[in-house]
Amino acid sequence: MTDDDHLPTYLLAALRIAAGADPVPGRVSASARAAFALRLPGAVVASPAEVGPGVGARSEGRPAMHRFDADGLTLDVEVTVADGRLDVAGQVSPAPGPGTRIEVRTPGAGSSRVPSETGHFAVTGLPPGWVSVVCHRPGRAPVATRWLHVRD
Amino acid sequence: MPSEKTLPGLDQAAWEELVTRFDGRMWAVARACGLGPADAADAVQGAWLRMVESLDGIRDPERIGAWLITTTRHEAVRLARRSRGERPAADALPEVLVPDPAASVVDAEFGRRLWLRLDGLAEPCRSLLRLYALNPDAKYAQISMRLGLPMGSIGPTRSRCMSRLRALIEEER
Repeated sequence: MTDDDHLPTYLLAALRIAAGADPVPGRVSASARAAFALRLPGAVVASPAEVGPGVGARSEGRPAMHRFDADGLTLDVEVTVADGRLDVAGQVSPAPGPGTRIEVRTPGAGSSRVPSETGHFAVTGLPPGWVSVVCHRPGRAPVATRWLHVRD
Repeated sequence: MPSEKTLPGLDQAAWEELVTRFDGRMWAVARACGLGPADAADAVQGAWLRMVESLDGIRDPERIGAWLITTTRHEAVRLARRSRGERPAADALPEVLVPDPAASVVDAEFGRRLWLRLDGLAEPCRSLLRLYALNPDAKYAQISMRLGLPMGSIGPTRSRCMSRLRALIEEER
């Protein structure tokens, strides 16, 4: 039973909570509280459709490819780790109409870019951890990728 | 534009209440999956981000706690696999996550009952589980020294002792 696999983990967690051993650090709670501001009401959430085979984000300089599809839009997202920072590059297709804006978000900050005519965009020097790409389109719901975890 | 739908009454204050209620449990679950502090922090944050991206789809506020705990476990397992160098085929994210029924045991009150049971276990289980529970970052080598058990036997003994504790608790449930 699946229950069987997880119960020991949960029992250990319960023991530690009761003992007050290893309480949750304040910075973890602070980011949890701040996460509420990251919601995008009405956004279409895009799940990863396919992942480039055998390419790991762990290997320095080698990009991890992620493809997301939703609402007639494809977002290809490539994350490279260099010197402990993340570079995010990608393409939105079909080619974006006027007024389209790409936002690359981490829990701490967002960077907006106007994609090129061919739909390419790039943001560099992000902190490692969680990343999401949002495509804002005039008059339509934004499309947001599910959050990706990338660190070296 | 689609209208804003979120859980009824879920504003910043209600969110913070959820954080207060569950983040300690989520942290304990991530750590119990064997993660160090940095990875555990990422797993817990990941679970909150999953909640943010799923807000429109969560229909059952009663089960949010179990959902958060289960999601933390999923993210922790993914991170643990990654730090072991495995490329997770499990970039496959579940579209809909079914909360683990066992998530309800992650609770201080249940933990206190567990400690009573644990203290009644025979050695080496009593000392081993106690050490392991109270020292999340203890290495097998340290446990081996403290308890005079061969290092290779710590893992299997711990599983055996956990099963024993679990059997006692299940009698009670």
